[in-house]
Amino acid sequence: MFSRLSRATSRKASCSKAQIPLQFCLGRRGIVQPSGADRASVVDLPSTYKDENHFTPRSDMLGFKLELPQREGSLKEKTRPIYLDMQATTPVDPRVLDAMLPYLTDQYGNPHSRTHAYGWEAEQAVEDARKHVADLIGADPKDIVFTSGATETNNMAIKGVARFHKEKKKHVITTQTEHKCVLDSCRKLGEEGFDITYLPVQTNGVISLEELEKAIRPDTSLVSIMTVNNETGVIQPMKEIGALLRKHRGVYFHTDAAQAVGKIPVDVNEMNVDLMSISGHKLYGPKGVGAAYVRRRPRVRLEPILSGGGQERGLRSGTLPTALAVGIGEAARIAKKEMARDHIHINALSKRLIDKINAQVEHVVRNGDVAGYPGCVNLSFSYVEGESLLMALKDIALSSGSACTSASLEPSYVLRALGAAEDMAHSSLRFGIGRFTTEAEIDFVVQHIINTVHRLREMSPLWEMVQEGIDINSIDWSQSQH
Amino acid sequence: MSTPSRRAILSLYQSTLRTSRSFSSYNFRNYFVRRAKDTFRTIQSETDPVRVQSLYSEAARDLAVLRRSAIVNQLYGGWRLAVEDQKPEMTRADN
Repeated sequence: MFSRLSRATSRKASCSKAQIPLQFCLGRRGIVQPSGADRASVVDLPSTYKDENHFTPRSDMLGFKLELPQREGSLKEKTRPIYLDMQATTPVDPRVLDAMLPYLTDQYGNPHSRTHAYGWEAEQAVEDARKHVADLIGADPKDIVFTSGATETNNMAIKGVARFHKEKKKHVITTQTEHKCVLDSCRKLGEEGFDITYLPVQTNGVISLEELEKAIRPDTSLVSIMTVNNETGVIQPMKEIGALLRKHRGVYFHTDAAQAVGKIPVDVNEMNVDLMSISGHKLYGPKGVGAAYVRRRPRVRLEPILSGGGQERGLRSGTLPTALAVGIGEAARIAKKEMARDHIHINALSKRLIDKINAQVEHVVRNGDVAGYPGCVNLSFSYVEGESLLMALKDIALSSGSACTSASLEPSYVLRALGAAEDMAHSSLRFGIGRFTTEAEIDFVVQHIINTVHRLREMSPLWEMVQEGIDINSIDWSQSQH
Repeated sequence: MSTPSRRAILSLYQSTLRTSRSFSSYNFRNYFVRRAKDTFRTIQSETDPVRVQSLYSEAARDLAVLRRSAIVNQLYGGWRLAVEDQKPEMTRADN
């Protein structure tokens, strides 16, 4: 009723505007007339109107629409994206959670309390967990130190060893493709007066042993090389590196194995590793816990970062989080048991993903060594911007690089170190496949990726030029010269 | 202890499968169903009675853990994934 009325008035107004001269019109009244409160009438929506988004704000809400509170009933209607970012973190295995729950409820004792049963049972649980972690990497339980994660372990190992030997040795070697926390610890040491060598990698992401041997100096105290790269899945030849470093006395070998432990077979004695970093949440355990392997024979001495009660051989003071330690222990136990089965599954899924994408999309480049860890597939789609691809894939949780740098639009430094061109580094996507990924998910992802890549390329003028046979690199984009 | 009977193994397999299917989360449900099938195929193809006995008792222990995990997962999990909501592809019959 109200709408008919307003349409009639506006028609009348437009008629009068056409007939009456403008001056006169303005003098007497405005073109747009204010309507009084008496003319306004609230029209209720018909009872048949059913829109989920319909929401009537209360008077104290100032007109803003609030998110509806989550209710039990609405749980089923919302769909969640497929998780394909296992290098960032993995879901907690339900069996791990089951092992942790008693220590989050009734068995809350401090594992360092020696005077009562609450302490004893917690200590027993922590020691069992330590044994499981040690078994997974072929170490002795006494070599394992629980920390808050791989970042803390990396800091502890690199800064600890370098600072302990700073009187005589002032040189540390690492690679350009390390994780941010290793590179940043080394930068900090550089500020303190240490010499840091950042080894380059070959185009497949593997370091060259000759370069490493050349870089070793008499005053080198530590070499830090990661086992599996977090962005490309490249596996470094750890046994060969370990054997090479064994020949040089007094050079300690640290490896960041956060992405490797529980996924590929790792043995500290085979690899001749002196220090190793392990992360709980990369092997289906809880976040906030990690472990350090610190060799006792021959003894590795390092300066602890935290000072305090002298727990964990004095290397990491502070009360152990019993539940988290039990979690990483159970995760390690399951990983050891399931590693072969998981590896077959992940290998098959990875092959399926790569083959299907390669069959239907051209100009796709796989970054990093082909023989790397199959659960980490880094693909570059030429002529498509990686971030816009991610935006278009709302049903898939993917990343273009490591989670630490996912907020910035800078191309990944790891891919640049591999020698990838800037445009290829910008168009990369990392697919992380894990224990809980299914074949149906891979098929779904492949279908969406193919559709989106084709759609984005249709829009791209670069793609049009490539189709016409123009070499993109030969174009002089700046038109100032000539 | 003697080797478990064929009937006992099948009954354990059935309860493991049923428990695995009761997980609300898509990924966990599929994983545990796949794992149960795999484990019991291994038991089926095993000929050494001592190995069968140890695999059987391990599977029985796992079932207790799985039962508790499934309950916790039903309490807190259960968002549907995008892959579960796919509509079946329709093709035109008359062309």
